[in-house]
Amino acid sequence: MTLLMHASDISGRPVVTVRGGEDIAEVRDVVYSPESGRLVGLTLNKRGFLAGRRAEVLPAGQIHAIGRDAVMVGDDSSLADGDAAPDELAHPATERNVLGDDVLTERGVNLGKVKDLVLVVGSSGDVVGYHIDKTGGGRGYIPLPAQLAVSGEFLVVPDITEEFVRDDLVGLGAAVEEFRARLGLP
Amino acid sequence: MSDSFRRATGRKVVSRASAEEVGVVAHLLVDAGRHRVAAVVIGRGKKARLVDWAQLSSFGPDAVMVAEESALRPPADDREQAAADGKLELVGKRALTEQGNEMGRVEDVSFDPDSGALETLIVKDRHIPAEALLANGSYAAVLHPGQDEISGMRLSD
Repeated sequence: MTLLMHASDISGRPVVTVRGGEDIAEVRDVVYSPESGRLVGLTLNKRGFLAGRRAEVLPAGQIHAIGRDAVMVGDDSSLADGDAAPDELAHPATERNVLGDDVLTERGVNLGKVKDLVLVVGSSGDVVGYHIDKTGGGRGYIPLPAQLAVSGEFLVVPDITEEFVRDDLVGLGAAVEEFRARLGLP
Repeated sequence: MSDSFRRATGRKVVSRASAEEVGVVAHLLVDAGRHRVAAVVIGRGKKARLVDWAQLSSFGPDAVMVAEESALRPPADDREQAAADGKLELVGKRALTEQGNEMGRVEDVSFDPDSGALETLIVKDRHIPAEALLANGSYAAVLHPGQDEISGMRLSD
């Protein structure tokens, strides 16, 4: 069974080394590419009280696992120097942040505003859906198509997304596979 | 006959040469990669001393025997200093799976007092083979438990 979590829940989680058992940083922010539907990486804070931002970042490819209680990495060398990291991770473009975007179907129905990303717990870091504040009120979850058009204001999704709005993470988990099958996605 | 970290804590360390007590066991420092006891930590903080497992005469049920007091030495590196400060004490440490999920605290560890080989970690009533131990740091003991140990864990959003 696939376990899902909100991306915002990762912020503040410790980054722990598998080979050392040391907490070397904590998650500041999740950097996400809406175009590819994938996690780009994580920006980091220093560990501890009153600690500030760390110059290093954690590229998605270096993440050993994202768990319920910690983000696991191999060792210190898994962190990348901010200058050496891919630009989209070191300097994430704010206009590509989908949070707050209105979700529009292709025929122009507004499903709601993006509130959060939904990730698969485990090694992949796959983003499989969005948590939305529904236009009519209440929280909803929609599965994520592989490709979609996105601006700083709108996210355009296929019309059938409307049929796959779910009330909770469990419902989303069940909807993702069927949704992807209907769109002919892997 | 196996011994346990909890039972060993507070045990007297005695010099065979002088028959005098030279300290008591504070905790046992493990070598996670080799799944063994690396050293016995005696006392805490600035006064802490270590005895390498290989330097012990015997890890007895009532006393830990060393040849003489000179077997005790101060911490030699950062890791041993962290051990002396109590930061690497395995009992009481948070147990994390390598997938980043907390299993609870390490309640106790059983080991073979003849060889120093770790046998079983007890984490919240679960018995986990010592081979599952990947690392022991100041933050967590990292485990790679088999499917049997993972089943029964509940993950929530």
